[in-house]
Amino acid sequence: MNKEAPLSIAERDFVLNALREDVRLDGRGLDQLRPLKVSFGEEYGHVKVQLGKTTLIIRISSEVTKPRDDRPFDGVFTIALELTAMGSPAWDNGRQGDLETYVTNVVDRVVRHSNALDTESLCILKGISCWSIRADVHVVDYDGNLIDAACIGVMAGLQHFRRPDAVVKDGQVVVYGIDERLPVALNITHKPLAITFHTFDEGKRVILDATRKEEQASEADVVIGMNSAGDVCYVSKFSGAPVDAMVFVTKSKVALEKVKEINGIIDKALQADLAKRTDTGMVEQSRAENDR
Amino acid sequence: MVGPTATLTPLARTDGSASYQCPATGFNILSSVNAPVELPGRRDALKPEDATVEVLVKPGTAPNGVGEQYVKEIIKNMLGKLVLGRERGFPRRGVVVTLAVIGGESVARGDSYLTMLPALLHASLLALLSAAVPLSMTFSATVLAVTKSGDIISEPSVQTAKAAASLHALAFSSKGHLLLNESQGAFDFDTWERVHERALTLCRGQAGGSDEDVSMAENGDGQPLEGFIRETVEDKVHRDYAWKIDED
Amino acid sequence: MTTPLILLPGDDVPSDYLPSNSSAPLRLGPGLRLLSEQVPTSSGSSGSHVITATQAGLVSTDTKKNGVSIASFPNRRYIPTTNDLVIAQVHHSSADFFHCMITPQAPHVLLPQLAFEGATKKTRPMLRGGDLVYARVLSVGVGAGAEVELTCVNPATGKAEPGGLGPLTGGMVFDISTGMAARLIRASSSKGDDEDGVEGLVVLDELGKKLESVGGFEIAVGRNGKVWVDSSNGGDSSVKATVAIGRCLTTIDEHELNTTDQRKLVTRILREMRVE
Repeated sequence: MNKEAPLSIAERDFVLNALREDVRLDGRGLDQLRPLKVSFGEEYGHVKVQLGKTTLIIRISSEVTKPRDDRPFDGVFTIALELTAMGSPAWDNGRQGDLETYVTNVVDRVVRHSNALDTESLCILKGISCWSIRADVHVVDYDGNLIDAACIGVMAGLQHFRRPDAVVKDGQVVVYGIDERLPVALNITHKPLAITFHTFDEGKRVILDATRKEEQASEADVVIGMNSAGDVCYVSKFSGAPVDAMVFVTKSKVALEKVKEINGIIDKALQADLAKRTDTGMVEQSRAENDR
Repeated sequence: MVGPTATLTPLARTDGSASYQCPATGFNILSSVNAPVELPGRRDALKPEDATVEVLVKPGTAPNGVGEQYVKEIIKNMLGKLVLGRERGFPRRGVVVTLAVIGGESVARGDSYLTMLPALLHASLLALLSAAVPLSMTFSATVLAVTKSGDIISEPSVQTAKAAASLHALAFSSKGHLLLNESQGAFDFDTWERVHERALTLCRGQAGGSDEDVSMAENGDGQPLEGFIRETVEDKVHRDYAWKIDED
Repeated sequence: MTTPLILLPGDDVPSDYLPSNSSAPLRLGPGLRLLSEQVPTSSGSSGSHVITATQAGLVSTDTKKNGVSIASFPNRRYIPTTNDLVIAQVHHSSADFFHCMITPQAPHVLLPQLAFEGATKKTRPMLRGGDLVYARVLSVGVGAGAEVELTCVNPATGKAEPGGLGPLTGGMVFDISTGMAARLIRASSSKGDDEDGVEGLVVLDELGKKLESVGGFEIAVGRNGKVWVDSSNGGDSSVKATVAIGRCLTTIDEHELNTTDQRKLVTRILREMRVE
């Protein structure tokens, strides 16, 4: 199946008619995000993103591996996103649906292809060993707008993650445990995020951060990937009804505003987590020793 | 040692869900159950009068491997015995259990998955209860490591398990049956008997024999796991039915 | 009444929690089953019966119907039960039936095209895929894979009983938990002037009072976790009134609000949505 149950005619009509009066089902404005909460777990790179009722858990992990033959100076960075029946009963375990392919592709392009993570800094020894950074995205509750939520989670995770320190000694790679040497933050070049818009009423109504029902009732979606400096790194409009070119221009401004707003929320969460870690620093360290 | 913590129905979309955190092993499992649902293309199952239990174990920081496949089969077989798949609405339908490892070290290739098994089992049981899937009984499970010097360590971490001589995962039903007995490593019958006794104490709280250190439940405030499961469920029922209970 | 009792699957129901009326047959509701048990006695063994829980929840007894059942978690999936009122969505139609969806990821249920009030071969309603119908579960069949049949009339009288069965036009559907749906149905069917409301719910009364000035609203609750709301009499504020009702119901469902908080919520949301 791998498909959400279709909306009834009444629901479709109502969502559209309400939007014509600038009313959304949860009482939000057209350009307003749902409440966004970014929180971090005990481990480095463990992020929980709650965007309204959409909830994702992102885990970043690292291991030492051999670089690809054609890129001896580069590390490896992969984003793994798999939709399971946990996110929505409509998703089948072990079967890839269209949504999974689509979201994976967009997140990959916004975050990985825009070089948000400097992969060259992951190189340890040319052609022999490098870091492989893996971002696992677990969608645990789905109520629309996976793309934006996944980008928020992966970017927050990359900024929060610390990899073990590694050095080259006499041609040998030595990796230090987290308790031996301070772990190292990843080299983030810029902080791109995706902002997804959905259009209704022949492109006359454009909304931000659609819920599942709004997504199902919409005509088309537009994704704009951008960083806080306003550099656009991704624009797409894959399917659905035509969208006026001016929408891209006007909505880019909205997207920039939102990217700044979201990055602000991530920064705040990171600082709060850092403060917490410094306070309980001693406890943390002793626990880390016990674990080993 | 700190006892486990659990939440019932933390998720909105699925029919039932639970999160289970075991501080001793460090694992944090999120589980969901969808039931009864139609399983496309699998309608003519082997038992057309019964429900089919499907389990997926999703590792936290790695692609799916053989270890997940191994524990998945154990969980599936055990839950299949408890789910009353002939109750109304369930025959020919699926009970889809999805487990995600959202916290704790990932089990490296070659390491034992038995350490994670009790947390996975408890998480799936709580999610089944949350989804109101009919069950014949409940259970509790634990894992014990026997060190090379013969000491028994309950709920070992991945590192402790690696150094152990043998590992034993056991589960007991709420009626006292031994539901699961998976062992790994080298051990003799006497060791297993000691392990069994200790596991029974940890799960069901029955003082085991005359051996002093065996009868001492090490689990936090000494609460057996069965009681922990019951308390978690009772708390949630009290919250969901506050309007009704307060009225009476 | 005895103290509230919470059972887990496999637990026996103590006999003092069973209704004491011995003349009428005992009715076992959902979440319970009857098991026979061999009890060893001094003179060999004798068979006895125990009532055992299959779901976790609160034991609730109905003294009027002489029944006992387990009230399980409100988020569970809907399983069709005879006589339940549901909101069905037409998927497609065949020669004699509308094939409808009442729960996602479950097989379609059948609604005969003539099972409407006053329907004949010529006057039967023409429903398209995506249309909504308020219907009653007529039968759930026997055995595995049996088909569920719906109806919009009382087979005995040929009337749409209770009132309101039939196609639902316009309005909006909101998703709520199945437990909340059951409460709403019981609350709206037994009108009480109790300050605390029925089933701990005052939200509908409160909304009714406050929205009277804008033309009131119509509501249909389906046991399958759906609420249909229409306030098209409301003129300019009709859309806002419908959204406000939906938000009130879903918020109360998610946050388990008591009656005082329900009243506060209604006031707050109506003010926020500017529905006067």
